[in-house]
Amino acid sequence: MSDVALAAAQARFALKGFLREPRTFVYTVVLPLFLLVILNGIFRGRSSFFRLQVPFAVYYTPAIISYQIMLAGYSSLLIAVTTERERGMLKRLRGTPMPSWVFLTGEIIRTIVVVAVTVAVLVAVSSGVYHVPVQVHTVIGLAVYTVAGTACMCALGLASTRACATTEAASVAGPFVTLIMGFISGVFIPVSMMPAWMLDVGKLFPLEHLARGLQQAFAVPGSTGITAIDLAALGAWGAAGIAAALAGFRWEPHDSW
Amino acid sequence: MSDHVIEVRRLRKSYGGVERLHGISFSVDFGEIFGFLGTNGAGKTTTIEILEGYRARDGGEVSVLGADPTHAGRDWRNRIGLVLQESELNPVYTVRETVAMFARYFKQPTDLDATIVSVGLADKAGERVGRLSGGERRRVDVAIGLVGDPEVLFLDEPTTGLDPAARRGMWALIEGLRNAGKTVFLTTHYMEEAQRLADRIVILQSGAIAAEGTAEQLSRTLGHATRITFLAPPRIGLAQVSAAVGTRVEQDGRWLGFRSDQAQRDLTALLGWAAEHGVELTDIRVSPPTLDDVFVQLAASPEDAQDDGS
Repeated sequence: MSDVALAAAQARFALKGFLREPRTFVYTVVLPLFLLVILNGIFRGRSSFFRLQVPFAVYYTPAIISYQIMLAGYSSLLIAVTTERERGMLKRLRGTPMPSWVFLTGEIIRTIVVVAVTVAVLVAVSSGVYHVPVQVHTVIGLAVYTVAGTACMCALGLASTRACATTEAASVAGPFVTLIMGFISGVFIPVSMMPAWMLDVGKLFPLEHLARGLQQAFAVPGSTGITAIDLAALGAWGAAGIAAALAGFRWEPHDSW
Repeated sequence: MSDHVIEVRRLRKSYGGVERLHGISFSVDFGEIFGFLGTNGAGKTTTIEILEGYRARDGGEVSVLGADPTHAGRDWRNRIGLVLQESELNPVYTVRETVAMFARYFKQPTDLDATIVSVGLADKAGERVGRLSGGERRRVDVAIGLVGDPEVLFLDEPTTGLDPAARRGMWALIEGLRNAGKTVFLTTHYMEEAQRLADRIVILQSGAIAAEGTAEQLSRTLGHATRITFLAPPRIGLAQVSAAVGTRVEQDGRWLGFRSDQAQRDLTALLGWAAEHGVELTDIRVSPPTLDDVFVQLAASPEDAQDDGS
C-alpha cells in the first residue's frame, strides 16, 4: 500500500471513529446547525453590514460557516490529536513503520470531509429555509475561504496540542477559544452592534477575517469577497501554526516518563 | 556488531543529571524469550525504550537486528513489534478494525483473522475495544504487536494490572510465541512470571544488572528465599518452633515465619513436630521468592549471584 493510499485509509478510519463519538458529532455537526436556526429565530429583519442593509440570514449563514470551520478545524482537531497523544496512540504509531505524517494527514483529511459536508448542509438549509441567495460569486468565495480557513485552523489546532498537557485541557481550551473568538469576531452579534475596539481586537485573529470574507461573498452583490488582507491574515496565521507545530509537536503522552 | 538479535554493551542513560542506567551489558539470542526483571524504577522501561528506538542513550552500544535503534528506519520497524506499557486504544473501534488498521502500516502483515485467533479474541473480533475487559485489551495490544509479523517482539509489563486468571491466559499466549519462532524481550516485575516464561533472565536493580542466568540457575542461587508462614499457635514460644525446624523463626504480628532453601524438608519437620505435640497450625502459606526477597538474597551473597560473563 502506498503512503498516499495509507493516508486515505487512515482518514476513512478516523472518519468512522468521528461518527461513532456522539460528543464530537454533536459539537461539530449539530451545534452549528442549531446556532443557525436560533440566531435566525432571534433576529428578524435586516442588519446593516458596512454600507449595506442585508437580511439577518445573509449575515448569519457565512458567520456560522466560519464558526463551524474553526470548531472542526481548530477545536475538534485539537481535542482529537491531544486525546490520541495522551492515550499513547501517537507514541504507539511512531513505533510502527508508518511515517508520522500519514497519521496527521489522515486527521486533516477527516477534518476537511467534516467541514465540507457540514458547510454544504448549512448552505442548503440557509438557501432552502431562509432564502439566502447562493450565486456563482458566492460559491467561488465560499470555496476559497473554506479551503484557506480550514488549512489555517488545522495548522493552529495541531500547534495548540503542545500547550494542552491533558485531554481535559484540550476539551476546555478548544471550545472556549473558539467561543471567545466567535464573540469578538462578530459571529454571534452583528458587527454594527459591536464596539469598534472589540472589532479591532478581533481583526488580530483569523476568525474575523474568515467571517468577513465569507460574509462579503454572501452579502455584496457580484463579489466573491476575496480580499488580499483577509487571505493574507489566514495565510500568516496558518504559516505560524505550521511553524509552531513543526517546532514543538509532542508525540509522547505526559505521564509516560 | 554481532550475531545476537539484541546486543547491549555498557549502556548508560541519565535523566536530569542523574544516571539511571550505569553501563549495563546483555545480549538476547534468536528465538528466545528473554526476561528483563526489575522493580519499578529499576530502569526497565528506560532500557526497553532505548531498544525500541524511542530514546537516545548517553553512552554504550546498542544493536537490535543488526541496527542501532536510534538511527534505524522503516525497514527495521517492519521487523519489530511493540507492546507498550501504558497505552490505551480508541474505545469506539472494534477489535478487528483496530488490528486491521495497524496491519496496514506493515509491509508484510500476518493474516488478520489468524492473529486475532492466536491472541484468543476470536469471539470478540466484532466487539468494540471499549467493551473489553483489561485482560482482553492487553490481548489486543499483543495482536497489534504481532500483526506486522515481527522477528522481535517487545513486551513491556504485559500482565501488570491484570487479575490472576487474565495473567495466566497471557502467559499461555506468550509461551505460544516461542513456538512461532519469535524472539521476545519481556519486562516484568513478577519473579514468578519471568521464571515461568523466560529462557534467560536478567535482574535489573537500580540501573545495574544484579543477576543473570536461566530460570534454573537463578532458582538454585536464590532458592532459600522461599517463605513459610503460619498463624502463631497459642501458648507456643518462638524458641520451640525454631528448634523444631532447625532455623530461626521470626514473629511478625500474629504470624510466625521463616525462610527456607529446602522447603519440603523444613515443612515436613514443622508438620511432624506439630502433629507430635498436638499443635494445630492454621493458615500455612508457602510463598515463592518475590523480587524483594531476591534482592535481600542478592545483597547477602553477591558472589553467588553475579554470573555476568563480561
